[in-house]
Amino acid sequence: MAPSQASHVPTLDGLIKSFNNQSLEASIESLIFLLKRRQVKGDECAKATAYILRQVVAKAKWNDVDQLLSRIASAGSRLARAAPLEPVIGNVVRRVLGLIRDEASEDRNADDIASEAASDIQTLTPATNPSVQPPQRPALPHRPTLSALSSGLQVSKSMFNLLSVAEPGDSPMTGASTPMSQAQPASIHSLRSEVMDGIEEILDEINQADDQIAGFAEIQIHPGDYVLAYQPSRTVERFLVKAASKRRFTVVIAGLEASGAGTEAPYASLRKRLNSAGVKTVNLASNGLMAYIPRVNKVIFSAKAVYQNGGLLVDSGSCIAAQAAHEYLKPVIALCPVYKFCPEDPSDEVSRGELGNPSDYVSYANGPAVGALDVENTVTDYIPPDLVDVYLTNLGPQTQHHLANILADHYKTEDTGFSLQLGEP
Amino acid sequence: GRRPSGAPIEKDVRSTIPDAFSHIPMAKRIPTSQAHKDVHPAVLAVGQQMATFALSDSISRLQATLLAFRKVIESYETPKGNSLSRHFVPHVLNPQIEYLTECRPMCFAMGNAIRLLKGKINKFDINTGDEEAKEGLLEWIDFLINERINLAEYAIARNAALLINEGDTLLTYGRHRLVEKTFLEAKKDGKSFEVTVIDDPFERSGQDLAKVLRQAGIPVLYSPNLGGLRPKVAAATNVFLGGEAIFANGSLHAPSGTADVAMSAANAGVKVIVLCETINFDRDRVSVDSLTYNEIDPERNSAESFRLLFDNTHDKYITGVVTEFESGGGNSPAQAI
Repeated sequence: MAPSQASHVPTLDGLIKSFNNQSLEASIESLIFLLKRRQVKGDECAKATAYILRQVVAKAKWNDVDQLLSRIASAGSRLARAAPLEPVIGNVVRRVLGLIRDEASEDRNADDIASEAASDIQTLTPATNPSVQPPQRPALPHRPTLSALSSGLQVSKSMFNLLSVAEPGDSPMTGASTPMSQAQPASIHSLRSEVMDGIEEILDEINQADDQIAGFAEIQIHPGDYVLAYQPSRTVERFLVKAASKRRFTVVIAGLEASGAGTEAPYASLRKRLNSAGVKTVNLASNGLMAYIPRVNKVIFSAKAVYQNGGLLVDSGSCIAAQAAHEYLKPVIALCPVYKFCPEDPSDEVSRGELGNPSDYVSYANGPAVGALDVENTVTDYIPPDLVDVYLTNLGPQTQHHLANILADHYKTEDTGFSLQLGEP
Repeated sequence: GRRPSGAPIEKDVRSTIPDAFSHIPMAKRIPTSQAHKDVHPAVLAVGQQMATFALSDSISRLQATLLAFRKVIESYETPKGNSLSRHFVPHVLNPQIEYLTECRPMCFAMGNAIRLLKGKINKFDINTGDEEAKEGLLEWIDFLINERINLAEYAIARNAALLINEGDTLLTYGRHRLVEKTFLEAKKDGKSFEVTVIDDPFERSGQDLAKVLRQAGIPVLYSPNLGGLRPKVAAATNVFLGGEAIFANGSLHAPSGTADVAMSAANAGVKVIVLCETINFDRDRVSVDSLTYNEIDPERNSAESFRLLFDNTHDKYITGVVTEFESGGGNSPAQAI
């Protein structure tokens, strides 16, 4: 819901610029403030979180890897708690934590590859060649295996995660990373710059994701299609505009709210761009979508988050679009950059939906009659995985059954448990 | 009610309708000065009310039409050398019907009633006296209004209220007269239950229903749109929906969004009960999608903003239909029409 005083909302760029001029604490506080007011939302949360975490790496005091991990986790959980229904924040925090573990283990591998690490390999993975050789791709993210799932201790002892060995009962953040805790300033310095480079790469990934997804547009959209775009986000807009450069089709835009007289027609700029490319558009001012689905070839919307089970967190109303399309066997395509994949299952709160401000719908000037009503304006929906046909990520289209690979490639098992409680300061 | 009354009348309003929907009719305001000279003033008024949606649901349109026809009959005098049964329909009644259809496509109940009326007129013996025939028609119209509208409403609310149990959570969409009556009836029977009202943000008639129910002491959860429908529907015991018409194949013609609610409920294993007077049943037409018989919202008829007024709910999403005569499945339209 657009805030009534739009002029007071800082742009994301402005916000990020302000990070450089103020203390770390002030930056975190200002972002928390905006998150709580829902003035930074969606992919902006991901970017803002990455920028803040970069500031943490650069500005916070830390002397070893454990301290850095705990600084990141604590700042991250403060942000995540400010916006419990923006799982991308937690995703970025996990990515950064994993990145630190990778960089640290790389450093350590270089130091101790001949001693301790090698013996670990021998004891834990007897099938591999015990001879001492550096890992082929040390930066390769850790994939959980069957044995990994059955024994957390073994996993954390694996070579790439030596620095995060968690004894039972230990805080999940700290590890017995003896060598690095007494690390020399030089290696701290290099770790700092490597982690900051890594965060930069995550930011690049976030920035490029929409374009990469749009690259798959011509595969998904065919000439003559009627495409129902539910509340097209920037990701969906870019996708449609890219498709319009190759294909002639019709976009049916749904999910509009009743707008007051005199306001500009919704999605005017998107429609203008599509129309000028020869793509027709129709703005549906309709609540129900079942009526239009028979005319539509596919339904497209973007996810706010993708859960471990393949369920989606989406804008409210998207679920009815997906359900209606599913009833008529029309493909449901969810655009979801990899940074929105969340290694968790949806909470009850998520499946019920987030409640928004009801005053757009009910006038409280109407007195007791309305005052006595319970008004629920749901602003997010949860879509179960069986209603989604294609998860279109920046790495390409995926199905529900291969999402586990994406999660395994991007998060460390130690960090999947990162949640609001773990990071209590 | 919320439609502004002074909207300008455009010359070619249909030109803005997107291609895919260009076959669907739309209500149109005809200045009274341009109407056919034979249109009765009472019918003129009803036509204007229909075009502006001051009369919008099928039963109020039916009732207003019948009452206007009553006036037409009262003021009718058979010309010399003619009989009412031969002269009235082609020369007097048909221009009224044409005008009404021009203002807004006829609803199925009106179509049924007009067919019944014409049948009644045809049955008159050619030698029936003018006064006698008129008297007979007026009586018949009163009977129709009483039987198929008033009594039907009462009987449906009674029958449907029996389906409500203590402690139920009932869900409905928008505001339908029969659903409202049913809930109030059940409350009067002393049952305590909760109602979730899902509204259409473009109509907001559900808000009025919510207030009425609240004032009757029924706890109401009001949701202004279809957001979060799945969990809300799953929490309901029964879904009650009102219909504008039911086609020969058992599918329901109802305000846009009804099909979404019914589908969502049926998929969640929640019973969907449709309330509909038999005068709304159409035994001749079959409709399997929402683009066959529908109407475009005259206020939202361009690419900038487009909306269909109705949708089509397949009978597989309907658990049962309650009519004034019997209750049955959606695919077995009432026999008694």
